[in-house]
Amino acid sequence: MDEPAVQFRALSRSFGGRSAVSGLDLEVQAGSVFGFLGPNGAGKTTTVRMMLGLLPPSAGSVRVFGLDPVREGERVRAATGVLPDAVGLYDRLTARQNLEFGARISGLAGARRATAVDAALRRVDLWERRGDRVSGFSKGMRQKLGIARALLCEAPLLILDEPTSGLDPGNIVMLRDLLLSLVQEGGRTIFMCTHQLAEAQRICDMVGIIQAGRLVAVGSPGELGAGTRRAVRIRCSRLDARGAATLPLPQGASIGPSGNDGEWRVELERAEDVESIVAALVAAAAGVRSIVPEQRSLEDVYLSVVGAQAHA
Amino acid sequence: MRDLGTMLWKETAEFIGNRRFLRVFFIAVLIMGLLPEFQKHGIESSGGHGRGAVDILPMLDLAYALLASVIVVAQTAPDLVLRERSGGTLEYLLATRMPDGAIFGGKIILAAGVGYLSGLVTVAVQMIAANLGRGGPGWSWIYLALPQGRLIALLLTPLLAAYLATVGTFVALRVGDQRGAYLVTMLGVGVLALPFLLHLTAIRLTMSWLWRATGVLAVVVAAVVALGFRMFRREMLVLYLQE
Repeated sequence: MDEPAVQFRALSRSFGGRSAVSGLDLEVQAGSVFGFLGPNGAGKTTTVRMMLGLLPPSAGSVRVFGLDPVREGERVRAATGVLPDAVGLYDRLTARQNLEFGARISGLAGARRATAVDAALRRVDLWERRGDRVSGFSKGMRQKLGIARALLCEAPLLILDEPTSGLDPGNIVMLRDLLLSLVQEGGRTIFMCTHQLAEAQRICDMVGIIQAGRLVAVGSPGELGAGTRRAVRIRCSRLDARGAATLPLPQGASIGPSGNDGEWRVELERAEDVESIVAALVAAAAGVRSIVPEQRSLEDVYLSVVGAQAHA
Repeated sequence: MRDLGTMLWKETAEFIGNRRFLRVFFIAVLIMGLLPEFQKHGIESSGGHGRGAVDILPMLDLAYALLASVIVVAQTAPDLVLRERSGGTLEYLLATRMPDGAIFGGKIILAAGVGYLSGLVTVAVQMIAANLGRGGPGWSWIYLALPQGRLIALLLTPLLAAYLATVGTFVALRVGDQRGAYLVTMLGVGVLALPFLLHLTAIRLTMSWLWRATGVLAVVVAAVVALGFRMFRREMLVLYLQE
């Protein structure tokens, strides 16, 4: 089996007596897009800093391509392109100089550096503004330039903090296509911290939700939506309210109108109870047309998980 | 070395693009370059043209050139760190593979280099002012004409600039605002003045004394810079970002 690009084992970090990250266990497969979700202050930045070897863990371990960031921080950072939350562009340098600095850090030299910088400027539509100082750029332009700089280094792992922040819808689509092409064609791994749940649902292979330093959910957006399902929506040609009320449902299950015409919603305690529901409907000659597991969006999952944790 | 070159390239490009830096540089150089000539005129017109007065005059030039250097370094060194923090670039820089030593080295070399340059430009302004003020060659009136002056200009000034650049960089890690960092960095000069204030030694403009002073300062600077390279660690900077 391939070595995961990123691996956390019981990873914890505390500051003084306050725990910022606690017992994080996670693997991110190479060549995938991982979405790291969580409210502000949940521990995302601390986790990223530990991945980059900027903070040593208080307990547990991190591995990036099998490397220990604490002992081999420079090698880990060399294998990583980063877009920080604040983007981190030098206002007094031009767009070109900012990219050139990134390219120099990555070890690109001479004609190769110039070619890479020019290509990156064109890729994010900033070629015409290459000689302008970044201080005059809009938030969206800065974001695009920051992304271009993160991509310049051709590192196998990209850590992007809120990459779509400040981008208009057209640029968001451009970025999505770009990131997907990097993964599909370049085999790169993307670790993305984001609050844009719809975007995460579209491009992430896996997502993890962190709340108060703990990983409270992890899986593909589809799995998370379906894996926590506790309801199915059914359509029957011969089921009325009286028939529904007399259906022999499994323990803990309940049935009621879904709100859509002719559709019923059955809440279940266990996902496998759906088989008993089907049997009951067939026995009652309800005329089953369809049974669809209720699929929740990532936003629904996020809000329920984060909300429940916060409430707890 | 290539990483250090990359950092120096970035710091220099930023310095050139920073109007505030350039303003501090030119104001310090102009004031410290022109003031001594006015003061000399004042000393001469008050009749002080004896042997004692002549001894004071090179000292005056020297003090002003050193002061220009000190002011410029004390402004530049903390600002190089504070700007990275306020602009959010420190987080990016730390996340790159750039070694700690190159980040630190790039900053202190730029700050010390700019300070040294300001000292030399101040000397040039002093020469021009002396020539214009006297309507002829003013070489004999500036300290570069003396071997002591050359030693101070070419060796003591860069050593002092390197010392202050290191102190200023570290001060900026603890003092978050520009003005406070500048004042605390200036206190670093006061530490060097302690042996004189405590009457452990007195300033003499003899070559042997100056060579000894240069040697002692070189050791102090080497120790401070080495300590700086040893202590300037990413973990420390990240905790500083968290504050």
